[in-house]
Amino acid sequence: MYSDAVVHHALDRSRAGSAGDAAAWGEAGDPLCGDAIRIELLVEDGCISLARHRSFACPHATAAAALACELVEGRSLLDAATVGAGELETSLRPGDHNRDCVALAADALHAALARAVYATTVAGDDRRVAVAMSGGVDSAVALLKALEAGLRPVGVTLRLWIDPAAPDTERACCSPMSVRAARSACHAAGVPHVTLDLRDRFRSEVVADFLDGHAAGRTPNPCVRCNGTFRFDALAAFADRIGASLLATGHYARVVQRDGRALLARGLDPAKDQSYMLASVPEQILARTWFPLGEQLKAETRAQAAAAGLEAAGRRESQEVCFVGGGDHRSFLERHGGGGPAGEIVDTAGRVVGRHGGIHRFTPGQRRGLGVGGGAPWFVVRTDAATGRVVAGPREALARTTVHVRPGRLALPAGRVQAKLRYRSAALPATVREVEGGFDLELDEPAYGVAPGQAAVLYDGDMVVGSGVIAR
Amino acid sequence: MFGSRRALTRAVGRVRGMVYLDHAATSPLCREAREAMAPYLDDRFGNASEPHSYGREARRGVEQARHTLCQLLGCEPAQLVFTSGGSEADNQAVFGLAGRPLGRLVVSEIEHPAVRAPAQELERQGFEVAWIPVDSDGVLDVGAFRDALREDDRLAAVMWANNVTGAVQPIAELAAACAERGVPLHVDAVQAAASLPVDFRSSGVETLALSAHKMHGPKGVGALIARDPSRLRPLIWGGGQERGLRSGTENVAGIVGFAAALAAMRTRIDRRGELRDRLERSLPELRVISAGAARLPGHSLLLVEGIRADLLVLALDRAGYAVSAGSACASGESEPSRALIAQGLSPDEARSVVRVSIGIDSTAEEVDGFAAALRECIERLRAGALV
Repeated sequence: MYSDAVVHHALDRSRAGSAGDAAAWGEAGDPLCGDAIRIELLVEDGCISLARHRSFACPHATAAAALACELVEGRSLLDAATVGAGELETSLRPGDHNRDCVALAADALHAALARAVYATTVAGDDRRVAVAMSGGVDSAVALLKALEAGLRPVGVTLRLWIDPAAPDTERACCSPMSVRAARSACHAAGVPHVTLDLRDRFRSEVVADFLDGHAAGRTPNPCVRCNGTFRFDALAAFADRIGASLLATGHYARVVQRDGRALLARGLDPAKDQSYMLASVPEQILARTWFPLGEQLKAETRAQAAAAGLEAAGRRESQEVCFVGGGDHRSFLERHGGGGPAGEIVDTAGRVVGRHGGIHRFTPGQRRGLGVGGGAPWFVVRTDAATGRVVAGPREALARTTVHVRPGRLALPAGRVQAKLRYRSAALPATVREVEGGFDLELDEPAYGVAPGQAAVLYDGDMVVGSGVIAR
Repeated sequence: MFGSRRALTRAVGRVRGMVYLDHAATSPLCREAREAMAPYLDDRFGNASEPHSYGREARRGVEQARHTLCQLLGCEPAQLVFTSGGSEADNQAVFGLAGRPLGRLVVSEIEHPAVRAPAQELERQGFEVAWIPVDSDGVLDVGAFRDALREDDRLAAVMWANNVTGAVQPIAELAAACAERGVPLHVDAVQAAASLPVDFRSSGVETLALSAHKMHGPKGVGALIARDPSRLRPLIWGGGQERGLRSGTENVAGIVGFAAALAAMRTRIDRRGELRDRLERSLPELRVISAGAARLPGHSLLLVEGIRADLLVLALDRAGYAVSAGSACASGESEPSRALIAQGLSPDEARSVVRVSIGIDSTAEEVDGFAAALRECIERLRAGALV
């Protein structure tokens, strides 16, 4: 039922209506209950001079929208970004059934705030840091460390596209639930939080690349694409908007200075090191980036989260590519036209030895799913998009000592390196030679299962000295 | 008679200066019922199963009430089982007639949850349920109903009049169709009995569910009338009251109040239809749902496009008028009324209907005041509506 506060705010029409055409707006809705809320914020000199709401929503959601407007009017944008579902719930006291209705108003408010941030530039502050929040434990502890360091953090979460047809869209790190978790982690610490809705851009850049890569017979790594450029570009642009000189994320990696330059280095936890994923972050962004977890173990992060009583302390991590939403990436490709036609499996001499259900199901080094019997085990040697063929052979046929990386770049002139050719593979000793548009690697020992489309990351000790995309 | 009519709700109907127009949800206890009940809440508190004078006095109260109700409703005393209310009566009828082994049921799309939920439970247990649609006025399609019926169906269930729209269903025709196939028809008359001269004997139905509190009687008492009570099964087992069909010490005061209320209602001058028409005429800008159907006289379901009814109900409450939303999610129910969707309303429309149910003692001033308040509330809420 309705608390007196819900009745009061739902019927308070003083901020019902529109804030004008110049206002930043945000909408949120739930197709199941039919609720729809729109919040409009007119921002003048970095302050919200007018906050208005319109809705077709139940009394709880309507009350929450009215209260949200009341709370943010007259405040600066970043100050307003500290208002969230928690504060609304404290006033409105919804029952369990109606907590989502209240959260909907917070979603609409934050959608409007994100637009307002993009329409404004906030005065700079050299202690302000934009902290990327995923809703998980790592970013929550990163935020904690930023606060402990005496910085003034602003949490930011990227809302990314997730396959709507996927079996489990909520588990992904960029789902609406994760956004709410990230927001509430910030608000619990009194930190402003902004959600950037990058769904369309993510779909047209990262997901499209993934589909194109598979269609061309490569094995693209969308996480490298996302972490390396997409995510950090968006974070840096956001930091500029809010006048933050620094960026921070909960990745397990470090930034080290060498000769006045900022270079990426492995995180100290060998089991969690994420430098491979981050290798293509541009140097000018690295120069302003801090990885608060780079010098510690994951176990320490968990302990710190538990000690601080963080809600995210026990949350399970996501592992699979986020946008496939709990499914496997093969069925994702098939749903999105990225599945190739069935075709022939041939041996290295070109003799047909079987048939396959689409080259997107295969990656070099793969042993399962070929269905070719007899003799020694068969492995995928390569896939050929032009002929639709999968070339298979014995393990020896996979052996490669030369790897061409295009595009690629060396951060430092390098000779001897450790080359990591897949996320979960060990780095291999190699000699690198810079060429036009990239570099070539001569591996000391043959590698098996080198896949075009995957990232090649070069290390000198812990330091990342080069990276690129394996061409062949 | 007019004097007592005036006295009926003035004492209880105007809580805190409010005007009560939600009689389909429940109605205030009438003076006659209260007076009839008073002794049974006091000296005549006996258990009607006991042989001493206390018990015999209570038993007399129960049986007199049964006799009165049978006279008014057209049934035999042995056919009427007192229950705790309409929901229990519906449950007992549906589960009792369905019986075992598994079989098939024919049920209208617009049933009250007290019938729909038991039917869905039977469906879950393995029964087959044929759900019969309604037309755009919320009236059951007799042809579809007749076509759906099969001779071995365990039962058909159709309410006499819908609780949301007030649309009266063609019970005589449906009962005839059931008779042709030999299928027993259960009818929920909880709403209808407060307004229509429901007569069991001539209706041709097998079982009929009633509730006292919709007709200015007390809450917590109702009845199930069965043509052949041997087809029923008890839901509650125990001391064997109500010829074993409903164990539990009789709610003597409630039963006496039930009979007194129905008797009083049958003597009242009913101006509800007139007032309802007056209301609808004064609000020509609003669409009336089920306007083309024969409706219960006090019911008016108004569509206020673009405004959520649950919000409008709160605004009207503040303005001093108690009405209800056709669909509300306050209880966590996020789905709009299935009955309204069944008659072709969109989910958003179903979330935007306000049910006004005029009582037998409502006045023209109240109805006029409500129309003005509604218009004012709509205007206020319109400013913040998402179009």
